[in-house]
Amino acid sequence: MLTNSHVYIAAIVFILTYAFIISEKINRTAVALLGAAIMLGLKVISQEYAFESIDFNTIGLLIGMMIIVTITKRTGVFQYIAIKSAKLAKGDPWKIILSFSIITAISSALLDNVTTVLLIAPVTLVITDTLNLNPIPFLLPEILSANIGGTATLIGDPPNIMIGSATGLGFLDFLFNLGPVVVIIFIVVIFILKLIYGKELSVDEEHKKHIMDFDEYKAIKDYALLRKSLIVLGLTIIGFTLHQIFEFESATVALIGASVLLVLSKINPEEILIELEWTTIFFFAGLFILVGALEEVGIIEAIAEKVVFLTKGNLFLTTLMIIWVSAIASAFIDNIPFVATMIPLIKSIGAMSNINVIPLWWALALGACLGGNGSLVGASANVIVAGMLEKTKYRLTFIDFIKVGFPIMIISILISTAYLIVFYI
Amino acid sequence: MRRYMKAEVNRHDMILTQMGAKIDVINSYMCYVTFDLDGTKISYVYNVNKNNKYFLERIEPYPEPAGTFKSEEDVIETIKIDIEQFKNAKNSRVFDLFVEINKEMSKTIRNFEDLYLYYNVPRECADSIKSKIKEIQDIIKEAKNNCKRVYFKKDPETL
Repeated sequence: MLTNSHVYIAAIVFILTYAFIISEKINRTAVALLGAAIMLGLKVISQEYAFESIDFNTIGLLIGMMIIVTITKRTGVFQYIAIKSAKLAKGDPWKIILSFSIITAISSALLDNVTTVLLIAPVTLVITDTLNLNPIPFLLPEILSANIGGTATLIGDPPNIMIGSATGLGFLDFLFNLGPVVVIIFIVVIFILKLIYGKELSVDEEHKKHIMDFDEYKAIKDYALLRKSLIVLGLTIIGFTLHQIFEFESATVALIGASVLLVLSKINPEEILIELEWTTIFFFAGLFILVGALEEVGIIEAIAEKVVFLTKGNLFLTTLMIIWVSAIASAFIDNIPFVATMIPLIKSIGAMSNINVIPLWWALALGACLGGNGSLVGASANVIVAGMLEKTKYRLTFIDFIKVGFPIMIISILISTAYLIVFYI
Repeated sequence: MRRYMKAEVNRHDMILTQMGAKIDVINSYMCYVTFDLDGTKISYVYNVNKNNKYFLERIEPYPEPAGTFKSEEDVIETIKIDIEQFKNAKNSRVFDLFVEINKEMSKTIRNFEDLYLYYNVPRECADSIKSKIKEIQDIIKEAKNNCKRVYFKKDPETL
């Protein structure tokens, strides 16, 4: 039996939890789990309802892909691709930036952004060190490309995984609806980056020769595992494209791929499972429970009513509001809790106003994913690269990032808005 | 934190691989062990990994590799004996000198390595250093025969 006090408690716990997550004073996973535990402890929701609130499709998809990537990266294939590209660019800085940005964008569409950045950034640091160049003009385009590339697919960025899981929109839905605009945004961003960094960097022939001395074949550590990994990764991606036809959830596809590769690789599963981002998985679980509590007490429904009242159920206004609010919010706060809250909100808006909510999902995906480029704290990939640079003599400051990232984010959202207006609303 | 460590390992991996190394990254636990013997810090570091190889090193009061062991019992036993011996040695009036000599010997090894690796050392010079070391070893052996033994739980490994 829910009372008014449950509503107040849920609202206070939720707001305090989010405030602590944003402040980053306490580890975000610890705060999210504590917030969820308080909801349970104060009987705002039952344990049964809390567990039902956890979206295990999102969790399963994340775990499955993490396992596949953890095994695949052991083969050294990502290092191979990066060295090969740097050599094909003949050590030319701008060509390396361009090729690494393309690699990052494509990888990020197929893997998650954080993993992509963790693979490409260390290689970039070695390459820029060899060329005796500042790594920031290389790393910043990679971060921006990771966030842009990840927007294109269901599995590219956690917000998309959550949206896909909550709505039943599949891999091809994301690819066909978001892919075209992402390609346009990427080309425009590359053009802007060329203007910023194209002429700034120069390298003498001696340093270029060092790059040409790299041997990409040394990077491959296990050819047999490489074959198995690439076959399984390829089949998993084909599985994603077909999952709706065969009525499989995306998590099922990822978990089948992961378990097959675990068996084929003959690596002790303990070694692989220890490498997974369990803090992220538990962060998701905590957030799902928190948002579930808000839904249960009726707060989400009340906010949806206000939104429908403000926009008068107008699809155009609602879509614009969602994409811009999502983008600005995601530039400065974690987009995962934001999207976790927006998903039930959009569902409620759809139920109350009878408007077609599909454009709203694309608006949310574009805003939340591309918004991450707005500031240094906008996405995990950004924070990781800044942290990695702290071990070098270079610093990527909040201001340095925002000078490039924020205008690019605004341009990306303007293009996305135009795309949504022309094709959806 | 683990993410940054992974990234750092990836960077090292690429540099060392390109230098021609074969790298095995093993998940393990690194244990730092510190004892305070009346103001003298005795520290060890050892690594526990799935291959059941334990790399033990004493890092304070002076660095000294203690070797590779096959079980954690051997590591604990070695530390136990070492601490007992240090407790005993602390009672000596020349304990500070003992520590000082060991530090100097460690420094001397580094000095000789630098000399050899950075300079073209003639045979006579190397022979001269070797004979001086032999002199020191003879002094140690002679002292062993003339000094009273104070620790009996284990026999010395090198004397």
